Amino acid sequence: MSRNKFDIDEELESPFDIRHFKRSMVYIKKHAKKMIAALLLSGAAAVIALFAPVIVQYALDKTIPQKNFPQLVLLSILLLATIILSVLLSKIRSQIMTVVSQDIIFDIRSDLFKHLQKLPFQYYDDRPHGKILVRVINYVNSVSDVLSNGIINFILEIFNIIFIMIFMFATCWRLALVVVAGLPVFAAIMMSIKTKQRRAWQAVSNKSSNLNAYLHESIVGVRITQIFTREEENAGIFEKLSSAYRKAWMHAQYYSQAIWPIVDNISTMVSAAIYLVGLLIIGPSTVSLGVIVSMGSYASRFWQPIINLSNLYNSFINTIAYLERIFETIDEPVTVDDEPDAYELPEIKGNVSFENVTFGYDEGKNVLENLSFDVKAGESIALVGPTGAGKTTIVNLISRFYNVTGGKITIDGHDISKVTLKSLRSQMGIMLQDSFIFSGTIEDNVRYGKLDATKEEIVAACKTVCADEFIEAFKDGYQTEVNERGSKLSQGQKQLISFARTLLADPKILILDEATSSIDAKTERLLQQGILELLKGRTSFIIAHRLSTIKNCDKIMYVSNKGITECGTHEELLAKKGDYYKLYTAQHEERETA
Amino acid sequence: MFQIKWLWHNLKGYRVMYIMALCFSVVCQGLFLIYPIFGQTIVDTFISSPDALKNLETKKDYLIMLCLGIVLFTLFRTSLQYLTNILYEKTSQEMIYKIRNYLYENVQRQDMRFYDRNRTGDLMTRLSGDLDMVRHAIAWIVKTFLEALSLFVISVVYFFMLDPLMALCLLALTPAIFLIALAFRKKVGPMYVDLRERLSILNTAAQENISGNRVVKAFAREDYEIEKFGEKNKDFSDANKKAAMTWLAYFPYLETTCQALGVVMLFVGGIFVMNGRMSFGEFAAFNGMIWTIANPMRMFGNLINDLQRFMASANKIIEVYYARPIIIDRPDAVDHKERFKGEIEFKNVSFKYDNTTVLENISFKINPGETVAIMGETGSGKTSLVNLIPRFYDATSGEVLVDGINVRMLKLNQLRGNIGMATQDVLLFSDTIDGNIAFGNSSMPENEVKKYAKLAAADEFISKMPEGYETIIGERGVGLSGGQKQRISLARALAIKPAILILDDTTSAVDLETEKYIQESLKSLDFPCTKIIIAQRISSTKDADKIIILKDGKIAEMGTHDELLRLGGYYSEVFSLQNEGFEKVGA
Repeated sequence: MSRNKFDIDEELESPFDIRHFKRSMVYIKKHAKKMIAALLLSGAAAVIALFAPVIVQYALDKTIPQKNFPQLVLLSILLLATIILSVLLSKIRSQIMTVVSQDIIFDIRSDLFKHLQKLPFQYYDDRPHGKILVRVINYVNSVSDVLSNGIINFILEIFNIIFIMIFMFATCWRLALVVVAGLPVFAAIMMSIKTKQRRAWQAVSNKSSNLNAYLHESIVGVRITQIFTREEENAGIFEKLSSAYRKAWMHAQYYSQAIWPIVDNISTMVSAAIYLVGLLIIGPSTVSLGVIVSMGSYASRFWQPIINLSNLYNSFINTIAYLERIFETIDEPVTVDDEPDAYELPEIKGNVSFENVTFGYDEGKNVLENLSFDVKAGESIALVGPTGAGKTTIVNLISRFYNVTGGKITIDGHDISKVTLKSLRSQMGIMLQDSFIFSGTIEDNVRYGKLDATKEEIVAACKTVCADEFIEAFKDGYQTEVNERGSKLSQGQKQLISFARTLLADPKILILDEATSSIDAKTERLLQQGILELLKGRTSFIIAHRLSTIKNCDKIMYVSNKGITECGTHEELLAKKGDYYKLYTAQHEERETA
Repeated sequence: MFQIKWLWHNLKGYRVMYIMALCFSVVCQGLFLIYPIFGQTIVDTFISSPDALKNLETKKDYLIMLCLGIVLFTLFRTSLQYLTNILYEKTSQEMIYKIRNYLYENVQRQDMRFYDRNRTGDLMTRLSGDLDMVRHAIAWIVKTFLEALSLFVISVVYFFMLDPLMALCLLALTPAIFLIALAFRKKVGPMYVDLRERLSILNTAAQENISGNRVVKAFAREDYEIEKFGEKNKDFSDANKKAAMTWLAYFPYLETTCQALGVVMLFVGGIFVMNGRMSFGEFAAFNGMIWTIANPMRMFGNLINDLQRFMASANKIIEVYYARPIIIDRPDAVDHKERFKGEIEFKNVSFKYDNTTVLENISFKINPGETVAIMGETGSGKTSLVNLIPRFYDATSGEVLVDGINVRMLKLNQLRGNIGMATQDVLLFSDTIDGNIAFGNSSMPENEVKKYAKLAAADEFISKMPEGYETIIGERGVGLSGGQKQRISLARALAIKPAILILDDTTSAVDLETEKYIQESLKSLDFPCTKIIIAQRISSTKDADKIIILKDGKIAEMGTHDELLRLGGYYSEVFSLQNEGFEKVGA
């Protein structure tokens, strides 16, 4: 699938079939006992409710004509008692089902989130984040009722229909046939609009996804919008998306709202038919008049559960449009995952080697080809070269953010594709170009590197990276609340915090990807001391454009579009008078002219 | 209630349609009550009447007409109901369409302080889940309330006509319903406030996890994230249960009271029939109609429940709806239509944020076309300083002047329309590269886009991509390297031919050769442009007409490269730091 943007509907990769329903069963099964209990309670409540008309009938037939006041009091109390009993049973049923329905959406959401954690960068890179978000939050919220109460009610209504059918056929099979004759008509109509209705609800889910994606981007990128004074144009785009959603919604409503009137009309026609058939065709000589009256009331009692069922069907169709998206995400293949026989990577020393590694983000277009090199434990390697040549790709492969297409990468002789991801990545410290700040305190953000770190360790880490000073300058110090979009921290300060985070993790292999690009020269100078500290006893890969950052490295690799073209110490490479030398003289000249 | 007034206000243009829907609702309820008359007539005439058999012979046509009548009547009633429901959907959609668009526009024009306060996930909740509650209010709550009320009123009137005393006895239970519902409302209200807060927290947690997915993976913190999210998920689930359980705690009282109408009917009605006050027929009529007041009473509890939910959501939306940015056009703003010359002056500017002084007494002047570099330590106020020019923030004291006019006196869109800015934290959109570069002018032809990409040294790598300028880049430009993102952001800023170009550390992740190329193209722009460049490298700043060194929010040094080198301060220190390596090599 190619990349998706806010105004492109996501194609549904697997169309709905009965499997989706079976998938849902996994979540429902867990609560089978509770649901059966709820079903029984509802049944009991229904049976008890049947007593009410019997009591009233008895009073009308016997008690009242006999003017038996004490019996009237007794019957009234009895009636009240049946009511209280059936209400209490319904209450317990609802309590059980509240727990069940909440637990089902809790489980679905947990599974969805857990799976999202496993999905590779690619998944997040390929679609607007708002589209992922809307699945985790809004979609999951909309499926709860159908999967819990919907199922119980469905079963109850089916029973209801069966009971009434039995009564009807026992009373008069001929007229019963008339009542049931409406069913095929109803089924035919439902089948004929089913596909259209489903498409309509799918469109609703797609359009709401697009709308939310654009909204998310707009909030995240609001500063850019404002500086480019794009507010009006954006509002226009948003209106279009909003309007598409409204249209999709109305379209779905045209179908959904129609179902109830259709059932109502069929049921009325059936009632009319009973009178006509009963009185005119079969005739009062064959069918007693009382039978016709009771068949009339059975007919409406037969169609009421069908109306309820069609309402359930409606919400089911609607829910499926969300459910299939949720399952699609949960079923999204994990391209970078633990092998079935993956083992824990033991504590490493830090020898890294690439053996004929080939890799491309897109098929048929390799970024790296047949790359081989060895790095000994404790060495520091600088990767330099033009932007986009593949420096970041190399370090991403070491942490197995992507799988190599060919060849292999080993750490201390262990093929990294054979060990568990967690044991691999937890021994590496990776500082990315984007230093993401989570909302929370500064302390929390640093602690992300080592969850059980003490306050002292955190302060020590911040001191090492020269962040302590500016943090203490805040009124709340380490407890200052920060967030990603907030303007409390400058970009350089964010980098320092993320640096401290990495240092705290105490990794055996360290990767710094343009980690200090936004830090001023003087702080960077101070930081050198910290970095030297950090490099001691670790294998490290450093990507930087500023040569002051890399001059102390044991080895420098020049990465160009053709792969690693030069490799050696600073002096060796200069002596070679190749690309690295050129890069250097460029700066050298600058100094001359200055 | 303010919330209702607010809804009414937003229904503008669809009020007539909505009122029509309301009227139809009442009519439908009436038709619903009339409907049984047909069946009753058939039974009376052809079944229970002593002349039934004779009628069947002589009035066959009447029977067929009655049956046809039922069918046609139902067709009419259901069609009207369908139309009514569609009208409700239509009006509620139109209304939230309007609210949603307004909220979007309003959110877009909020100043930075608003965004410092409100989390993305929270704003998303308001514009999705909360908004849906508002739709629900107008499409369902109001409709159901009216339907219940009209059914109730019609029945009560009918009951009073039949037998006032009996009607009074039945109505005696309504105050109880009312009291229970009120007690419930008081209890459940805060729970719904809490519930939607939990939803917003959950939304924020998911949003940050998705946006920060790289960091999560880099630190192998998936388990921790799952645990953290699990807690929020649990909290939300618990809050849901708590609200539902509260409803269920009151439900038996409400439900029993409604159903107790039947008991009252049996007991009081029974006595009335016994002492001859009421006939069996009247008893049957009352008993058969009792649901028409029991159902609305039952609905009342549900309505209160949903209404509380709506209130919790509506208040959150109204907060954003009426949020007003502090930084806005003044009514007496100068209309400066023509292109700015690009003169910038700071006069004794100070800026405080959260009571912390960020900038103090900044004064300098930049002439049109000049290039000024700003350097200084991390956190010294560089970004804050440039943020004052497009009025992302307003100075706390002093004046920022552009073309000799205080920026507060300029219209925001005219001011910002003249400024091209590439921010430190590069934000790109999930759109094509072409769409990203042409962000400030979406009608820009492709060759123009290419031209600015070339100026920003981005054309080469873009052209190498399989889909070139049509390549869709992920949100925040993921999939591109830092340097590539910076160059696209630079091209985007150049593409609007700004009179003032602000580059905030835009080339920090670009290699030196490329940076040199970019500097050359910046020198030879084909439009007049004042440039402010924040940078860390001497190589980026040395050619500037003026270099400003900030320290703790104050100007520490100011002058040309040579002047500052001679001064022997911060600048010359940085200069020697950055050239140390070369001297050793050169030697």
